[in-house]
Amino acid sequence: MKLSTYNFLTSVAIKGVKVGFPLKLTINKKEVVESEFNPTFVERILPKLDWSAVYGAAQVAELTEDIPAVQPENIVENELLLQKLHHLLFEIDVLEGQLECPETGRVFPISDGIPNMLLNEDEV
Amino acid sequence: MHVEETQQKVNKAKKADKKQRRCLAIIKSDCEVSPSAEPTPYLAVLNVGLSNGLTEECLLTEAAATGGKVIQVVMLPGKSYCFFICASLEDSQLIYEGMHNISTIGQQGAVAYLSYIRQLPALAGKSEWNKPLPRGLHIIADFVTEEEESTLLRAIGEDGRTSEGTGSLKHRNVKHFGFEFLYGTNNVDPSKPLEQSIPSACDILWPRLNSFASTWDWSSPDQLTVNEYEPGHGIPPHVDTHSAFLDPILSLSLQSDVVMDFRRGDDQVQVRLPRRSLLIMSGEARYDWTHGIRPKHIDVVPSASGGLTTQARGKRTSLTFRRLRKGPCDCSYPALCDTQQTKVPQELHASLAAQAITLEQQNVHEVYDKIADHFSETRHTPWPQVSEFLDSFEPQSVVLDIGCGNGKYLSCNPLLLSVGCDRAQGLLAVGRRKGQNVFRCDCLVVPVRSSSIDGCISIAVIHHLATKERRLAALQEMARVLRPGGRALVYVWAKDQRKNDKKSTYLRQNKAVNKERTTEQQQRQKQHQELEQQLSNNNPLPVHTNRTEFQQQDVLVPWKTKDEQKTTYLRYYHVFEEQELENLVSQVHEVQLIKSYYDQGNHCAIFEKISKNSL
Ligand SMILES: [Zn+2]
Repeated sequence: MKLSTYNFLTSVAIKGVKVGFPLKLTINKKEVVESEFNPTFVERILPKLDWSAVYGAAQVAELTEDIPAVQPENIVENELLLQKLHHLLFEIDVLEGQLECPETGRVFPISDGIPNMLLNEDEV
Repeated sequence: MHVEETQQKVNKAKKADKKQRRCLAIIKSDCEVSPSAEPTPYLAVLNVGLSNGLTEECLLTEAAATGGKVIQVVMLPGKSYCFFICASLEDSQLIYEGMHNISTIGQQGAVAYLSYIRQLPALAGKSEWNKPLPRGLHIIADFVTEEEESTLLRAIGEDGRTSEGTGSLKHRNVKHFGFEFLYGTNNVDPSKPLEQSIPSACDILWPRLNSFASTWDWSSPDQLTVNEYEPGHGIPPHVDTHSAFLDPILSLSLQSDVVMDFRRGDDQVQVRLPRRSLLIMSGEARYDWTHGIRPKHIDVVPSASGGLTTQARGKRTSLTFRRLRKGPCDCSYPALCDTQQTKVPQELHASLAAQAITLEQQNVHEVYDKIADHFSETRHTPWPQVSEFLDSFEPQSVVLDIGCGNGKYLSCNPLLLSVGCDRAQGLLAVGRRKGQNVFRCDCLVVPVRSSSIDGCISIAVIHHLATKERRLAALQEMARVLRPGGRALVYVWAKDQRKNDKKSTYLRQNKAVNKERTTEQQQRQKQHQELEQQLSNNNPLPVHTNRTEFQQQDVLVPWKTKDEQKTTYLRYYHVFEEQELENLVSQVHEVQLIKSYYDQGNHCAIFEKISKNSL
């Protein structure tokens, strides 16, 4: 699972959960899959992402030195930051780990790079 | 050297003669055959037959290689010999010279010995012709005189409505009286009687049927279809649509004899229809047997002495008389009954609702998990209009494929951020191996932030949901994740696999039917029998026959695995009627339908989430 995908996932469907986002991420095993850096791509994707989950992902991936807690305003001119975001969002691939609902603690395992977000009938 | 070679040839020929005589002697002890030194159209293959594992296909291939034309192969069960009926003396000679002592079709590549024979043995005709007729089938010979025949031909020659010569009709001329028989739907439109009713010249026929008619649904017909068959023309096996016509159906043969095939499952009976005879198909013969005529120039028929002989076809005109039913069929032969096959009982909806989750679990999720790899192999080419939809997004749009399967649409447009989800772990793993972004979830509960996605596709997914409420919920879930202004594309399987009389790819792949080697009805009946043996009988729903038209909306579609076990899995589908998808979309909150279309057997819809500003 790429951390760009992580940015969209929520546990809001669980009965009683109000926000369910961001999910608490644990990485047990990851790899870095290099891909071509395209500053425009990162820049245009950013408005579709939730920065708190971008920063949260950076914390878990131990990249907080690269990614600020608050989204800077003039990000377009900051190519270095765009490159670091590219690395964080599109190159880090979580192979094993888990996602956890921030409200109920329900755990969604990630194995072989695929998060299992399937809920039981009685959970929704 | 040269001399030696010649000597070898002579020896070989002598050996063959000896063999030929010995084999003939063996056959003679079995049945009455007399060899002929002069060529005849009948050939015996003396030393190989069904008991040696020889197939008709193999024989025909060998014969075809000689350039000689075969009309029929006669193979007898348990015999180590068989026969050819050849199209002409020349053909017979070509085959004899090309195969005798040459063809290595015997056991372990042994060479075959052939001989001309005067006539086929009586035994040969038995298996094919001595079967009882299907129940309810009657043939009345000399039903009309030669004089009456000409009167009738004149009467129908003058008027009537001519069918458009398309499709399977291109082989023959067809005219209608009373009502037009529509070959596209195999039905009539009772609200559209033709100006020309059945010619009064036919009125002489009905009083002759008094002794039969007491048990029939009708005493005089109101619909007549006239078919003109040139030699070589035929009609694929079919049953006349139950709900279209009452019992029985009559067919008068004029101008020439023909052989008609009746089939029910694996049962097959050949019936000779002499010129000027009347065929009555009633009861079982009308409802449960298909009938057809093979496209041949020459028929093989029983000879006077009990063997087989050939009979050249002439131009034949058939008059099929029927009476419209104008209502559902109430026969007791459900296998080929359109009424009983298409009936959706009220209870079905209730039971689908009650069992939706179990049904989807057993007949969708579990099946896809089991067939994932094989299924994935068959799903590699993106449908062009889906690709087109994906290309319509701005670069760097976020697109979610709900029910992405093996992820074939996730890499269509590399300028997008494509993410896919599915329930089937096996299919997700295929996509993941290709480096795609996938996660596992149910299409009714998509774990994605609301209003976060620019585009959404759902290709061949929601037709696996067992109730309307669940199908609607899946669309509503797509609407939820879309941002205002975001667009979604939905594909579902259409019940109607034809558009403007053109068959979908799904139907076109049914080669046997399209080449008129069999019919959908035949295949349904056959599958019905196969599945009865293979599967438990408590299937909650009717089982669809692949590559045929859908008979009902809620069906189980078989998937046969490619491995040696050839296990059949049944997948649940709800195939959509026209406008059904549009209606469903109209019930989704916050969206509007942009476009809907029919694409290769699917109903498709594009909808857009209404932006807050325009509300
Ligand atoms: Zn019926």
